[in-house]
Order: sequence, then structure tokens, then C-alpha cells
Amino acid sequence: MKKHLAKIAAVALTGAVVVGTTLGLTACSGGNGLPNIGDDETAKIGVLVSDVNGDEAKAFRAYYENYLEKQYNVDFTYTEALENAAGERAAIETFAAQGYHAIISLSASDRAMQIETCEANNLYYAVASGMLDDAQYEKYKGYECFVGQIGPDMTTEYEAGKAMGEYYKTTKNVSKVAIYGAFIPNPMHVYRAAGILAGLGLTYGGQSAMDAVVGQIFGDQGLTVSKISGPVTVSAYVQGFNPDVTFGEIGGAVATQPDAFLSVGMATTFFSSVFAGANVQYADIDSFTEGNVAQMSQEGGKLTYLAGKYASSIGPVFAAVYNAVHGNVIKDNGNAISIGQNYGVATTAEAAAKYQTADSGNNPIINKSLLDTVIGKDVTFDTFKAFVETDRTPA
Amino acid sequence: MEVKKIKFDKHTVKKLLTLLMPIIAFGVLIAVFCIVVGAKGYKLDRYIEIIFNQGLVLAIVATGATFIYTLGSFDISLGASTLFSAAVGVMVYNSTHSLVVMILVIIIVAVGCSLLSSTLASVFKLPVFVTTVAMMSVLSAISATIITKNGGALGGISIPSSVVKPLDNMGFKIAMLVIFMALCVFVFEFTKVGRRQKFLGANPFCAKLTGISLNKYAIIAFVMAGLGVGLGAFLTLVYTPSVTPTTAGSLGMQILVAIVFGGMPISGGPRSKIYAAVVGGFSYILLDNILKILIQGNAGYGISQIISAVFFLALVYVASLNYRSKNLPR
Amino acid sequence: MSETEVVQENTIPLLEIKNMTKTFGPVVALNDVDLTVQKGDVLGLIGENGSGKSTITSIAAGMQKATKVESMRYKGKDWAPSSMLDALDNCGEGAHGIGMIVQESGTIAGITVAENIFLGELDQFRVFKFGPISRRKLNKAANEALEAIGITNVRGNMPMAALDFQSRKLVEIAKIMLKDPDVIVVDETSTALAHDGRQILYNIINKYRGTEKAVIFISHDLDEIMEVCDTLTVLRDGKIIRSFKKDEFDADAIRTSMIGRELQGDYYRSDFTPSWQEEVVLECKNLVLGDSLKDISVQLHKGEILGVGGLSHCGMHTLGKVLFGAVKPQKGEVLVNGTPVKNEAFAMKKNIGYVSKDRDTESLALTASIKDNIAIGGMEKYAIKNFLIWDPSEKKYVDEQINNLSIKCSDRNQTTGTLSGGNKQKVVFGKWVGRGSEILILDCPTRGVDIGVKQAMYQLMLKLKEEGKAILMISEEMPELIGMSDRILIMKDGEIKKEFIRSAELTDAEIINYMI
Repeated sequence: MKKHLAKIAAVALTGAVVVGTTLGLTACSGGNGLPNIGDDETAKIGVLVSDVNGDEAKAFRAYYENYLEKQYNVDFTYTEALENAAGERAAIETFAAQGYHAIISLSASDRAMQIETCEANNLYYAVASGMLDDAQYEKYKGYECFVGQIGPDMTTEYEAGKAMGEYYKTTKNVSKVAIYGAFIPNPMHVYRAAGILAGLGLTYGGQSAMDAVVGQIFGDQGLTVSKISGPVTVSAYVQGFNPDVTFGEIGGAVATQPDAFLSVGMATTFFSSVFAGANVQYADIDSFTEGNVAQMSQEGGKLTYLAGKYASSIGPVFAAVYNAVHGNVIKDNGNAISIGQNYGVATTAEAAAKYQTADSGNNPIINKSLLDTVIGKDVTFDTFKAFVETDRTPA
Repeated sequence: MEVKKIKFDKHTVKKLLTLLMPIIAFGVLIAVFCIVVGAKGYKLDRYIEIIFNQGLVLAIVATGATFIYTLGSFDISLGASTLFSAAVGVMVYNSTHSLVVMILVIIIVAVGCSLLSSTLASVFKLPVFVTTVAMMSVLSAISATIITKNGGALGGISIPSSVVKPLDNMGFKIAMLVIFMALCVFVFEFTKVGRRQKFLGANPFCAKLTGISLNKYAIIAFVMAGLGVGLGAFLTLVYTPSVTPTTAGSLGMQILVAIVFGGMPISGGPRSKIYAAVVGGFSYILLDNILKILIQGNAGYGISQIISAVFFLALVYVASLNYRSKNLPR
Repeated sequence: MSETEVVQENTIPLLEIKNMTKTFGPVVALNDVDLTVQKGDVLGLIGENGSGKSTITSIAAGMQKATKVESMRYKGKDWAPSSMLDALDNCGEGAHGIGMIVQESGTIAGITVAENIFLGELDQFRVFKFGPISRRKLNKAANEALEAIGITNVRGNMPMAALDFQSRKLVEIAKIMLKDPDVIVVDETSTALAHDGRQILYNIINKYRGTEKAVIFISHDLDEIMEVCDTLTVLRDGKIIRSFKKDEFDADAIRTSMIGRELQGDYYRSDFTPSWQEEVVLECKNLVLGDSLKDISVQLHKGEILGVGGLSHCGMHTLGKVLFGAVKPQKGEVLVNGTPVKNEAFAMKKNIGYVSKDRDTESLALTASIKDNIAIGGMEKYAIKNFLIWDPSEKKYVDEQINNLSIKCSDRNQTTGTLSGGNKQKVVFGKWVGRGSEILILDCPTRGVDIGVKQAMYQLMLKLKEEGKAILMISEEMPELIGMSDRILIMKDGEIKKEFIRSAELTDAEIINYMI
């Protein structure tokens, strides 16, 4: 009897959920169109993130929440670290249920699905980090909800790596380097690594064209040292991060006595003390954060090359989204905008400090007065594009 | 035989409470959820749909996994199997362009992975749990290789969303859940297989001396779990037509939590319930969403985990109340 | 004899309990009970399963607390031990406390014998404070403790898990005796012991008799308890029914007190004529398995009760498992109706049933219900197409077994672990008899079972025999072997030493000669 009671209760409750859900479905069918809010209404923007702990991620968040929220009538809500596409979809749908107006994405598990979900849920959508590949962009550029993508594209990532390689080959005259591949096969890191090889004048599997090298790295799930050949020796290669293993591997790589340790990302976050202890100079691609600048300037800091973004580099994407929810959807010939952003490079402590000072918490380089020039009903694509592409290297 | 009527003294109440606790908790969570969503002015209908979508794969895979848990065993590789099956499914679709072939392959691969775990355990005379740990690593690694080799710059592989779009509706998903539940309830409650599974979980030594082969029933349990994984992997693709190396990453742990939330004893045995996975799975998702609404943003992430953990321990405690005082010392 | 306890004048009792009540949920285990234990006494407590005898002594020994008690005094002082260790060690005046040898295993399997004996007190063997433990000293002390009670075949360094049930029980006795308690409670211990083990226990009891110390002896075996004890108290349904002095001991009177009515009909078989049909239903040929079985050949006939007896290590328990296909022999074969037995499932298909000596571990799933335990054996009987289970048919099948065996329970869904020993064993019988087993291998079928249930079991065996079923009964109890068997095989050191045919003249003494 008691057993049955439990079964009946379980069936009844499950039934209630199912019926409720079905009713819910009926109720929500038929959208209300994309949002268009008045100036006095708060723009509610959901931010999708997969990394919540990195220096760059924290700097981005501080810029939105501590600076822009005070300057504009906007409310940013960050997700927790999204693990996969299912998490991204649930997050977007939750924002929709909570009455949000737009999504800015810093999470890249499934961009296509993100756009489709936003389209189905009448939310504006923009990409602030990592770009869609060409085929995807072509497919989705006509979607009404898709505001656009602003940030370094894969070619920019490749060029950033290439510039790093060239710097050490020509300026520093290195003959032997070690490479840290971070989270290869993460595409961004694959392109940067391919760029580094190109910059050092090296071939991979006998090939040097970007697409051929990138394809091989994806295939190998990393760099295979024996496939590298050219004028500079790559004495060791390490990737991934597992505290139990990776420190040992980095130690082993340092023991090969490279002239420099070239990293595609996260080097300061993980290994700055190792490099300082071993007296090995290193290069990294990250942001001009306090931690990175300190590694370039202070005694014992061994960071000699830093390619980075401003924390406020995600300001323009906000402007585009803010405009959209207020009725001015900027389009490039009717299509979603797609504008590349380059990395800034510092090779001295002074240069890095300048970047950091120019873009500190309360005084970002892309501040309210600059942003105001691209926020409003009359802003056009050309004005916007010019604004994004302006060189903001500190004097 | 003397049959007594149920008397509502404090012992009966305690017994009933133990039995009904997960369902009461589920009901309370639904009520709290509706109140919280209503108070915040959010759209309840949309939220219910989100909860259902979030809990669906968990509920289905956990329902299949109940067969393994009933034996007092444990499979940590279910998340990785889901990922692997989905990844293979995507590859198969992209080369055959046939949805039916994709579904069949997903189910076969999922059941195959499950069978491999149990067969390895039986051949090498290892606890099944050990082989599932190994399977988890192997399947995750193979999946990551398949996905990144073929996904390239996109970081994931996918089928065209238009293929599964027609299936991405509540009617189809509810039907899948109901059909799979019905199959599991049938096997669990109305066949010799279910009875023997429960008995094996209660006392494997006694079961052996009652002619019940642990190996045979472990294999059946893993086949049922494999069916759940296969269906779960397919529904994962229906929800998001892409697969990345992190797809279904936390599923393995969520299953464990869901099954306990649903009132199923971790030790398995006769008190195992097939509905536990569904009740527990949706309870867990409801709790998670309530906490997310109440404590929004990343700052609250740790706090919501702690509250979930406390809730989990409280349920386990209540569930074991009755059990602990059951055997008389005489 | 009036219904009061025996009181020796002019002495302070060692242990005195007044108006003790203990409940477990809705079950009243003790109902306002008084009990007095005098110095020098060997007091027997007897009663059916669930009568409260283990409960009252376990409260005195610190295993659990009374729900309500007017007073409990030990050596004239208030007594409320917080644990078993407390009851052994801290009795106020540095005097020796109460030790209890429990019915089921009171040792831990994963550690050595020595570690079990000195559990919680290993610090005394440390080389220096916080230093490592000296194994040599520990094992030496354990060996001394074992030898002190006459155990020489078990050593301190042996892993506990390697010992059989009897040896584990003896280690437990050694552990208790090391504390030199003034009162020892022996709870159903002798049923776990074969002849040699029992002698060790009796020696200890005899040393206590007539001294300043006392023994409380709990047993179901009426013959044994009458032999060992000086006074006897009968409990039934949580109440003291009657006490007997040695000169008042009378088996029938005690039995009547225990079950509240006179035992109707026969206890064992009333006939002394051996009988069986010619057909051999189960046989083994030249079985060899380590030291347990050395070239064993046995034939069991249709309609026969074949007894197998011996000391605990003689190999008879292993023989039972091999015959059921649960253990593979190194050499030889087991044939059921001429077909080799491959495994348990095959044995069951051929209608063999097996009741293990280790009831709680091997014969029952204690956390499962009575229904689960009975139904699991008989699914072929009620499953549709031998696959589908239809609840009403299953319940009907289970209820039939519950009724046929008069299992005392609240309903079929009661958890088996909450049943008394006798009713648990009835559930086991229900599982095997209900499915229509033609051949039953019963290993110590009446271990820890009270007298009323024992009688019912014996009568059931007889009925099965009359129906033409074959029973192989492995037992450590001589009266049972003599009382029930058509033939008795006596095993020693893995060999069959002697075969006896049923007769009125057969005696314990005659059989024991071949066992030791």
C-alpha cells in the first residue's frame, strides 16, 4: 500500500510537470519580435562566459560591471562558467524567460546554435571574443537577431603568433625555443601556435601555409616536435594544464635550455614563477593586466613580449548591442557587422605599463566619451567601423 | 498469515516519510520554483520548458543507470559514453545523411560501450566500477580526438540543425521519456530480470546461491543503461546539434546526485525505484535553477553548490532513518 | 515451584535487575522484567527467538540501553555501562565487569587475530609513545590469550578472514576472557561451535562455577542447557515465565514454559527404521578439494534423509557447497540423476535446493522483504511464460508459503532482517520448499532456531521424505542427526570415517568416537 502511495505520488507529480510544460509551450508560442526599448528603460544584457577565472575574463567583466553599468542604463548578468552547448542554450533560454533584451557571447561551444536560439527567443546577439568561421558567418549574417562580431578573427590570432615568432627570430636572434601550446586543440590556440612557427621561419610536416599547418595541428592534437624543421630549434613542447603533471613537463622543457619560452596564452597565470626561477625569458598572448605588466617590470620578471587586448576592447560590441536594443540595429549592407580587432604588443615594461595605465579600471581607453560617439539613433556602419579600427596604441 | 492494517503511529509515519520524502521534496521544489519565478516576474511557462529540457537527458540516462545502481554498482563513464555516442552519431550522419542510420548507430555504440565495461569487468574479474573509470578516460580521449580532428576551427562537430529541428519540440521529447520509462518500468517491475537485479543488489552471495549469475545480470543492467545513454545522446543532439569535448561533461556526477535525490539507496537492492531517477533528476535541476535565480551571478556559484550539497546530505539522512533502526539486535 | 526467581540467602547478588522494559519501535522486547544472578551460579536463559533473553543480557553488558528500568545493580552498586568496553573495564571498584560473547560474529574480518583481540588497546604495544606497534609483542600476547583458554590452532598473526566461523567465535571468547570478567554472558555461542570448540567453552564455564563469579548461558539446545546450567530461567514474549533449580529440571516442563503450551506430536522421527528408495538422485564421485575433501563419494537416494556430521573443520560444509555446484572440486564429479552439476543455476534447474549454515549472509537478503526472499526462488512456478511477473500471482505464491510454514510476520512486505532467527529460517525453507525442490541440501538447518520452530522443521523434513524427496542434512548436533537421519556419515579431516544406519541403539558417544 505504502509502496503504491509513493508510485502514485511520483506519477502524479511527473504528470503535473509534463502537463505544465505542455501548457507552457502553448502559452509561449508566437513571439513578440525583437526588443526595442525606450531611453528610460534599462537595457538587460546577458553575457555568456566559459572562462570565469582567467585574467582577461576578469578584466572584461570588471569593465562591464564596474564601469559601463555606472555610465549607461544597462544591466549585465554573467552566466556561471558554461561547460558546453547545452549549457549555452539553457542560459540563453533562461535570459529570455527573465525578459532580457540581448546576449553578448564570450563562450564558443556552439555559436550557430547560440544564434538560432536567440533568433527563436527574440534576443539580440553579438560575439565579443572569437569569431564565426567564414561559412558560419555567411549562413547567419542575414539573421535579424545577429548584431555582429567584433574581435580578433582566426587570421588575427595567426598574425599575433607570427609577430611573436618574428620578434624572437629577428630582434632577439634566438636559435633555440620551447613552446607552450596552452589548450590546443582550442582553435584560437592552434592558430596562434601555427603563427609562431611561421614567424620563426619553421615548417611543420614540411608545410608552411597557414591552412596546411593548422590542419595538421588539429590532426595531431598538438605540436609534434619531430615534424618541425627550419633555422630555429624547437627543443621542447608542452600543452594543457594539470598541476600534477604540467609543472614537471615545464621543468623538463626549461632544462633543454631554450633561449626563450614562447606561449600561446596563460603563461603568466600558470608558470611565471617557474620561468623567473630558471631565468628563462618568455612571451605570452593575453591582456594588459596588472599581473602581466608586473612580470615585465619587476625584478625577476621574465616576460619579454606580450601581445594583448585592452579590457575595454569589448566596449564597441556593447555599443552595437546597446544601439540595437534601442532601435538602431547597425547593419553592413543589411548584414550583421563583422569587424576585426588587432592585438597591441609590448616588449618593454614601460610600453606594457602604458597600455595598462591607458586602460585601467575607472579610466578605460574606450571610455564613455569615446563610446558616446558610436551610441545613438544616427550611428552608421561606416562611423562604427572606423571607430573600432582606430589605432589606440598609447603614445 | 496475520495481516495488520496500517496504523498511523510514529513508526509508520517515519516509514512513510522515508518513502515519500523525495516526492514531497519534489513537490515542494516545484511550489518554491513557481513562487520564486512568479515573484521575480519571470515567464513561468518558458522556465518550465527550460527545466524540462535541462532535466530530460539526465532523467533518461539516470533511469537506464538505475539498473546498474540496483546491483549496488556504479558507472562513472555514462557522461563520456553519451559524448562518444553523440560524436560518432554526428560523424555517421555527416557521411550518410540519414537520420535513421544515425539514431541506430548511436544506440548501438552506446550499448556497445556499456557492454564493453561489463564484459571487461567479468573477464578480468574486476569490480565494474573500476572498468568504468578506465572507460571514462578512454571514451573522453577518443571523443576529443574525433571532435577536434574533424571540428577544426569551430572546436566542435555538428549536424545541420535543420535535421533535428522538427524533433526539437516538447511532444516528441515527452514521448521519448514516457516510452523509455515504460520500457524500464516493465523490465524492472514485471519481469524476472528486474526481480533478480534487485535481489543481487540486496545480497550477491545469497543471489549466487539462488542460481543468479552476477555476470549475466550485470550485462543486462549495462545494456539497459546503454539504451538510456543512446537515447540521451540522441536527445542531446536534438537539443544542440553540435558536440564539443565538454558535451555531457558533468552528466556522470549529476546522475549520482539525481538518483540519490530520488530516494534510491546507493547500495541498490530491493528498495531501488525506477522512478527515482526522474523524480531526482528534475528535483536536482529545479533546485539548481531556484538557487541560480536567488543567488544570481558567479559570486553565488559556490554558495549554490554548498546548498545543493546540504540538501543532498539531508535527503540521504532522511532516506536512511528507517533503515538504520530496522534490524533488531537479538 | 512458584513463579519467582531463585534467590540464595545472605549474599549480595552479582547482578540485580528490577522492572526493566525495552522496546524497538512497536516491538516490546522486554516487559517489566526482574533478573538476579548470584555468585557461583551458571544461570541458563532459555526461550523462543524474540523472547528477550539476548536483549536483557546485552543491556547488562553495555551493548544497548533499557527504555525504562527501576534499578540495575552490579555487586550492589548502580550499574549503567555506556558500552561493552565500559561494562568490561569500569565497574567502579577496579573489580572485573561483565563480558558478553554475542550470537553473531563480534570480530572484524579485515585485520589479524591479534589486532582483533587487542582492538582499541594497541597503544600498549607501541615501541615508544606515538611509535610503531611491535608486531612481535602483539602476536605473543595474543597467542598467550588464546592458549590461556586452550586454543592452539589459531595464532595471533593469522588474518581473521582466513578463519572459519568456529575459530572466529573462539577468538572472540579469548578476547573477552583476557579481561577476566566476573560475569560472562554466553549468547547462543555453542551453536556455532563443534564438539572441540564446545569443550573449550565448557571448561571456562566450569572454572566459574561455584566461585565468586557467574555465567549467564543462553541456548536453544535444551539438552545442553540442562547439562551445563545450575539454574534456569524461561522467558517468553519479553516476560520471565518461570525459574527452575537443577533438581527441578524437566525437559517437558521447560518446553511447555517456553512455548506456552505443550508440544503436540513428535519432536524427532518416532520410527527407528531406516528407509529410502533405490533410485540415486544425487551422488558425488571421488571429490577432492584441498584439505576439505579427500576422495569423497556419497550417494543420496530418493526418500532418504542422509545425515552428515563431524567437527566444524571436517569438510562437511564444503561438501554441501560442492554438491550444489557453488564450489568447484579439484577432482571428481557431482551427478544429479546422472547428469553432471555445473553450477548453482543448473542445480536449481534440476530441483536441488541449498540452505547454507551462514543464514544471514548466504541464505537471505536481510534488507529485502519476506516476499522478495521467498519469491526469488519460485519464479518458475508463477512467472507467465517463465518471464513475466504478475503481482497477484506472486503474492499468492508467497502467501501460500507464509501460511504453510506459519511464518510469524506483520505482512509479506516485512523486512526479513526484523524477523526472529526461527522465522528467518522458515523464510529460507519457504524459498526452497515452495519451488518444489526434490533434493534438499540443508547445512545446519536448525542453527539458532528455537524449539517450537525446530520441531516444525523436523516434521517438515519428515513430510518431505514421505513425499519421496531426498534430504542431505549437514549438522553439528548429534541428537538431530540421530533423531532424523536414515543414514549418518561421519567426516573427519576431509574423509568419511564411518557410516551409521538408523537404529534405536545408536548413541552420541558411539558417533563422537569417529569425529575426534
